[in-house]
Amino acid sequence: MTIDNKNLSTVLVGAEKIDMRDMPIPEVGPYDVLVNVKVTGICGSDVHFFKHGRMMDFEVTEPIVLGHESAGVVVATGSQVTRVKTGDRVAIEPGVTCRTCEMCKSGQYNLCPHCKFAATPPTHGTLSNYYSHPEDFCFKLPDNISLEEGALIEPLSVGMYAIERANVKPADVVLVLGAGPVGLLTCAAAKAAGAGQVIVADLIPSRLEFAKTYNSDTQLLLERPQQGEPNIEYARRISAQILKTLGRRADTVLDCTGAETCVQMTVLLTKNGGSAVLVGLGASTQTLPVAEITGRQVDVKGVFRYCNTYPRAISMLQKKHINVKPLITHTYPIESSQEAFLHATNGRDGAIKIQILNTQ
Amino acid sequence: MSPPQGEINQCVILREKNDIVLENRPIPQLDNGDVLINIKATGICGSDIHYWLHGGIGDFQLKAPMVLGHESAGIVAKVGPGVKNLKVGDRVALEPGVCCRMCEQCKKGRYNLCPEMAFAATPPIDGTLCNYYKHAADFCFKLPDHVSLEEATLIEPLSVGIHSARRANIKSGDHVFVFGAGPVGLLCAAAAKAAGAGHVTIADLVPSRLEFAKNYYTDAQVLLQRPQPGEPNMEYSRRMAKEILKTESLADAVIDCTGAETCVQMSVLLSKSGGSVVLVGMGGSVQALPISEISAREVDIKGIFRYCNTYSTGVEMLASGAIDVKPLITHTYQLHDAVEAFKHVKENRDGAIKVQIIG
Repeated sequence: MTIDNKNLSTVLVGAEKIDMRDMPIPEVGPYDVLVNVKVTGICGSDVHFFKHGRMMDFEVTEPIVLGHESAGVVVATGSQVTRVKTGDRVAIEPGVTCRTCEMCKSGQYNLCPHCKFAATPPTHGTLSNYYSHPEDFCFKLPDNISLEEGALIEPLSVGMYAIERANVKPADVVLVLGAGPVGLLTCAAAKAAGAGQVIVADLIPSRLEFAKTYNSDTQLLLERPQQGEPNIEYARRISAQILKTLGRRADTVLDCTGAETCVQMTVLLTKNGGSAVLVGLGASTQTLPVAEITGRQVDVKGVFRYCNTYPRAISMLQKKHINVKPLITHTYPIESSQEAFLHATNGRDGAIKIQILNTQ
Repeated sequence: MSPPQGEINQCVILREKNDIVLENRPIPQLDNGDVLINIKATGICGSDIHYWLHGGIGDFQLKAPMVLGHESAGIVAKVGPGVKNLKVGDRVALEPGVCCRMCEQCKKGRYNLCPEMAFAATPPIDGTLCNYYKHAADFCFKLPDHVSLEEATLIEPLSVGIHSARRANIKSGDHVFVFGAGPVGLLCAAAAKAAGAGHVTIADLVPSRLEFAKNYYTDAQVLLQRPQPGEPNMEYSRRMAKEILKTESLADAVIDCTGAETCVQMSVLLSKSGGSVVLVGMGGSVQALPISEISAREVDIKGIFRYCNTYSTGVEMLASGAIDVKPLITHTYQLHDAVEAFKHVKENRDGAIKVQIIG
């Protein structure tokens, strides 16, 4: 396998401005591998960086390579590498943690304060011809899993970890708010965990049309708040309607929107003693119905990325317990990254997951 | 504090079964993330004695001379590249097992189960009974000024207790039964109390051990009788458990620190329905268990292998006084008298609980 000296990369240089640049080929340490990245999905967070040049505490102050949902082929390995070899097709788990802190040692490495996450400044992302990554964060794909599916393991992981946090047990009734890619993958993960009934809700009818074919038993169309209606009143009103339709609260509700109204509904619609799980990232301060949290013991749990999901995801994809292919709606060659990101930004033509393909 | 040129590094080495010598070895070079510790105190563990007398434990067999010791504390003498959490002069307790950090077990937080674990004084990894020991900085835990290095060496066996109490799911007010009043049993009792146990009973064959235990984190002590000649273990266990239950109630958690088949059997019999039995003691590798009790009463059996994520907790417990380990240190030897120290532990004389070697 030859490594040429071109490293074409999708670089964000300003709000809505991508430059295709030849970046230096990264160093490969003794425990690293060099991956020829083949497929990269675009995530809402990438879109946010693209549009605004910042997200939460993370701000783009220097040109940064985008992308973190990737899969590719190993072309070189460091001197101490034993877990993968040259030629292996791998899915990349994009967050490299310090391994020595309390969070890492206790198995919650997603909470490592020193995590270097691809495309979260200042760490460059994976939308490059060649990307260097520690071997233990690269997971070999069996022959029957495509690189396109491999790239979807990243957002699938968000769904899987959210379902774990929600404590979904077999036959549980699970309500998911938001039918975007994260909501859909959360539905898929719920089903894979044995949920008996999965209900998904959204504002947009076309999303629910798709969701009907994808891992959900019931789809609920949410109306927008009335003019001047306070959020908590809307949340109570809609929750009462949903309660009437379903006949009961859900064992767990997962919010995949970040909208304050939905976060409130997440609590209102979770059964006594259940978990209300917040996956979506919205406003940093929100109002919650605390009386329900205490009086009905509804635990509110945040979700930050994921941990320990990749091996199980590969197992499920290999055995076809989950099918992620239907979510791939559009693809672009890496040279057309700017168009791909614009498409992801405006979401036209029923876009769910847009992937960028590296032909080099 | 930094070791001068040509400074000796006296090490206590097990050359082969029954053969311990003192030898001078080079001071190790530091890699990224390492510190050099001037070892000041080391406790001797039953496993050290076992390696000395038998040359191995289970799958771990001595194949080449190895430095002994793994319950240590010392002072940072040198700091390697990339180390941010420690500086020269810091007093630290050493967590002796360094895991690979990359495998599934490590990532899931159960690094004690890492297949590539490098544990001091488990062959082929050299132990800490030396003057200068190289160790990963994140496995060295800084001590507050009022916690002595001698006490700090006990964080290692205390960790076994902490991990066992966690595995046993001890909640405040729980009734806990411990088999074996050696150092491990005593520290399991202490950890159970620290976890909020309401009542801790400890059992042993040896009256003097129970005398000590009376003043060490236990509420009741049970003197076990030896089995009658020819009495099958299961019969003894049922008979003895029935006897014990005349004065004791069933326990929320039973921790066996003996490894004896009879005690393991009694652990199940003395557990409440839905309770947990934690197996700490290492005895025969195949043992007969009362399966009908385990199934019909849902008594869970959980093994423990060393510990994980306990050292910070251990330091906190010693610092706050939640657990006082000083009473367990009964005898002290100088490094050059290491063989005498080992003999003392083997002979178990003079009420020895924890024998330490001071460097």
